[in-house]
Amino acid sequence: MTTPIIETHGLTRDFKATRAVDGLDLSIAPGELFGLVGPDGAGKTTTLRLLAGLLDISDGQATILGFDLKSQAEAIKPHVGYMAQQFSLYGELSVLENLQFFAELFDVTSQARVERTERLLSFAGLTDFKDRRAAQLSGGMQKKLGLACTLIHQPEILLLDEPTTGVDPISRREFWNILTGLHLGGTTILVSTPYMDEADRCSRVGLIYNGKLIECDTPQAIRGRLEGDVIELQPEDWKSAQKTVAGLSGVREVQTFGEALHLLVDSGKKRLPEIERALKKSHINYRSARIAPARMEEAFISLIRKAEE
Amino acid sequence: MSMRHIWAVTRKEFNHILRDRSTLILVLFTPTLLLLLMAYALTVNIKHVPIAVLDYDNSPTSRQFVQQITAGQDLDIYAYARDMSQVEAMLMHGQIKAAVIISPGFASDLQALKGIPMQVIIDGTEPQSGNFAVDHIAQRAEAFVNQALATQLQARGMSLTSLQPFDLRVRTWFNPGLKSQNSLIPGLISMVLGVPALSVALTLAHEREHGTLEQLLATPIGRGELLLGKIIPYIIVGLINVIIIPILAIAWFHILFNGNFLLFFALSALFLFGVLSMGMIVGVFMRTQAAALALSFLVVFYPGFFLTGIFFPLTSMPEAARLEALSLPGSHYAIITRGIFLQGNGLDVLWPYAVMLIFLGIVFTLIAALFFRKKLG
Repeated sequence: MTTPIIETHGLTRDFKATRAVDGLDLSIAPGELFGLVGPDGAGKTTTLRLLAGLLDISDGQATILGFDLKSQAEAIKPHVGYMAQQFSLYGELSVLENLQFFAELFDVTSQARVERTERLLSFAGLTDFKDRRAAQLSGGMQKKLGLACTLIHQPEILLLDEPTTGVDPISRREFWNILTGLHLGGTTILVSTPYMDEADRCSRVGLIYNGKLIECDTPQAIRGRLEGDVIELQPEDWKSAQKTVAGLSGVREVQTFGEALHLLVDSGKKRLPEIERALKKSHINYRSARIAPARMEEAFISLIRKAEE
Repeated sequence: MSMRHIWAVTRKEFNHILRDRSTLILVLFTPTLLLLLMAYALTVNIKHVPIAVLDYDNSPTSRQFVQQITAGQDLDIYAYARDMSQVEAMLMHGQIKAAVIISPGFASDLQALKGIPMQVIIDGTEPQSGNFAVDHIAQRAEAFVNQALATQLQARGMSLTSLQPFDLRVRTWFNPGLKSQNSLIPGLISMVLGVPALSVALTLAHEREHGTLEQLLATPIGRGELLLGKIIPYIIVGLINVIIIPILAIAWFHILFNGNFLLFFALSALFLFGVLSMGMIVGVFMRTQAAALALSFLVVFYPGFFLTGIFFPLTSMPEAARLEALSLPGSHYAIITRGIFLQGNGLDVLWPYAVMLIFLGIVFTLIAALFFRKKLG
């Protein structure tokens, strides 16, 4: 295995009474697209801020590109592109001026800047808006401008904190296409997200909960770690169906997906006939009932349940 | 130190000042407005103080005396009282600031060259007007008595010259006419030119509140580069005020300007460096704009008012206050502005204050840079 580009051992950060990040052990290889997933308040933002050198480490250690994060944070900064969760560019500066500002702070030569600005603007779809003030851009465009500003110095590592939160689905897709492109180009990306479909697009996923890393693997492996199966049920009246199946033995959880119900059961093969029998007994009609492939979301929720116990 | 980084921050900050109207108004016009406001509000040329007269003697001599003390614009007779209770009522209602009580036998005592009993009551809630009235009455009374004495002595065949053994002639230098605005306004200038320090104190907190600091701290910019880049635009804006304000003082208030303008400009730049670094220290420690504003009033403006010697002479302050004043750029600059405006001083006199300004500026900048950490939270 290659030497990790980001490595942490027992990384910990305390805020007064709360421990936001609790003994995190991360190891990210060069070129990975690593997704940090977890519910709100799990410690994703704190982790990324720690790695970006914006917060003091309370305990543990971290190495990025071979530099010690505690003592050499400033030496790491030129190699890292960090994008905060909320819009944090200068609203009264234009798109172009924001790019120029960050280019200068990262010591990008003016020749390289002109060339990169053009490329970044076109792939962020901002070429037509280059003279508009950043405050007057839409939310999705602001995120893309933020990404462009963090890419202006061509960092080896990208730290992105929930870059697509609050962005419409089309912009989100565009954003991920850009990320995938960067990933294929060899950039190491650490991205945090609350969205499970985005976690599925990562090469590896770390599940963070209460400041702790509770799982860290490829999306396929995490899905496979789901204990039990998912049964997808399409009843005609989901309310009474939900009541009936919820109490059955072996059914751990019932979630609604529009008209359908997703039942998390210990064994699909064993429970499917039992469930069908119970529904018939209660005279509840259903269009279909089948064992469905587990999705990231179910795996995620069941892993968190387990962590809570 | 990278000039490119500093310049990038300076340019960004300039754009912020120019495009955010409220900031532009704050830094560009507040000094002018403050100077106009304070110069008018604080000009203390007392005139027309209302007094009452209670004349128990009611003789031609006493009436002549009253006429003499109220001649001119300084004292106005509000009323002639009939008894003490009336005087009391008028003082109580604030209708008069002082009362003159002339005892019976005023004329005869004067004639007999005895001590003349006379009483002046003043309203202690407004001592300036009261004291002014007392000084004025005492002066006129002395002149009146001297005159009466002279007439009598002459009548007895004595010469007048022996009466004046002491010939005092006061001459006021630098501010002939003792116009209070002449000394007040150069002092005020040293205060109002410190206004940009407020904006500097706010600039870091502004970035913190808008979240832009997070992105900024993730860049490799040096701490000193960031702070310097942020101070420079306000020094430049401050220097624009260094041109506007003296013009206002000379053209509008007709203040004397006896010194060298280039020297004034150069020393003002040093002052701005010092006072803005002080604002930067506030900005480094305060997390929100509201807190930064409150603290900069506390450390920049209130001491500027009370400790720079503009209103209260430094020499009459206790040791601790004088030491504190020594650490404020404003108190050195107040001496410089007065020195250049009124006395026409050059660097040969003012150099120690200039050195102090440079020293304070460097110390404050170092403190700010030392305590500013490139961390959130």
